[in-house]
Amino acid sequence: MRLLGLATLAACLAAALATGAAAAPALTSRYADPAQPDISGVWQVTGWFSFRSDKTLPKLKPPYDGIYATRMKAFDAGKPIDDVTAACLPPGMPHIQVVPYPFEIIQTPGQVTMLFEYAGQVRRIYLNGGQPKDPDPSYYGTSVGHWEGDTLVVTTTNIRGDTQDDFSGLPHSDALTIRERIRRSAPDTLEDSITLDDPKAYAEPFTSVRTYKLHPTWTIGEYVCEENNRNQIQANGVTGFGVPQASK
Amino acid sequence: MTERSVHRRHLIGTALALAALVPAQALAHHSFAMFDREHPTPVTGVVKDFQWTNPHVWIQVMVPDAKGTPQEWGVECTSVNFLRREGWDKDSLKPGDKIKLLIFPLKDGSHGGQLNKVVELNGSTSALPGYQ
Repeated sequence: MRLLGLATLAACLAAALATGAAAAPALTSRYADPAQPDISGVWQVTGWFSFRSDKTLPKLKPPYDGIYATRMKAFDAGKPIDDVTAACLPPGMPHIQVVPYPFEIIQTPGQVTMLFEYAGQVRRIYLNGGQPKDPDPSYYGTSVGHWEGDTLVVTTTNIRGDTQDDFSGLPHSDALTIRERIRRSAPDTLEDSITLDDPKAYAEPFTSVRTYKLHPTWTIGEYVCEENNRNQIQANGVTGFGVPQASK
Repeated sequence: MTERSVHRRHLIGTALALAALVPAQALAHHSFAMFDREHPTPVTGVVKDFQWTNPHVWIQVMVPDAKGTPQEWGVECTSVNFLRREGWDKDSLKPGDKIKLLIFPLKDGSHGGQLNKVVELNGSTSALPGYQ
């Protein structure tokens, strides 16, 4: 009996090895959790990189409407008052989901991890249902998700109030909750329906549906923002350019 | 072909390029608002420095002013990774290269702008892979 057991084990091992060799995933595979639908790979946003590609805005409440109007006036004057990203601080959520840089999704048991080329940022979505205990508001907040069929449903809370929704300067408050529905709408397309629920800053929830294109041959490159940032924010709040002084 | 018609040809080319513009070619990290993206402008000179760096690649160009005195211009490009995917590398430009660029100039009139594209490099119009 024991011999038979060993023989069976050996046969199983051999079969497993053979199958494993035959089905060995390519080194580029980022999909390591068959319990999840596969959304792994390198993706890049399509469309314009305001929060909504059509540049439409939520109904802003005071004082956020005034903050945005001031930023727009500065932009129109060619003297942009940028957010913390010009100083190489992270864009945070939801801004990182609309920056025009690729990101890589890795799926492991209990977690979806997004590795962004932009400033080497990381977003972790926990699928275990437990809200990690982190009382401090952060750039990416706390993201908890679960799968509903082919859709990854994510809720993000605990987001800092001093970041923006996009490069246009759209503000949010520290009361922001982000609800996302992420699914692979086509083999080469990822869709993220992003709803901003911010009762302090917006009169009603505001949704943007963004699509991302798969780039199977791309790899994510290094991007260290502090390496040579010539666009430092100046004392008056306006983004600089590092233009050389005219020679005499 | 006159200078004016050459200029015009570039403007038409740029209009076509802009029509196809996707975020992949865009600058990010900070706002575009400092650049006049309505008026692509040719800049011709000699490369002083090529900064193959993040968050942006920079081309420093010595450009003769109206009196013929070389002035240093700073031309901001997208990131290293975007340019690499377009076929550029750290040796794509070197000091001494004669270069003609199309840039979106700074609105405040300072000597600088955002790269629209490399029009000509050391006499060749195809020396660098396409980048708009």
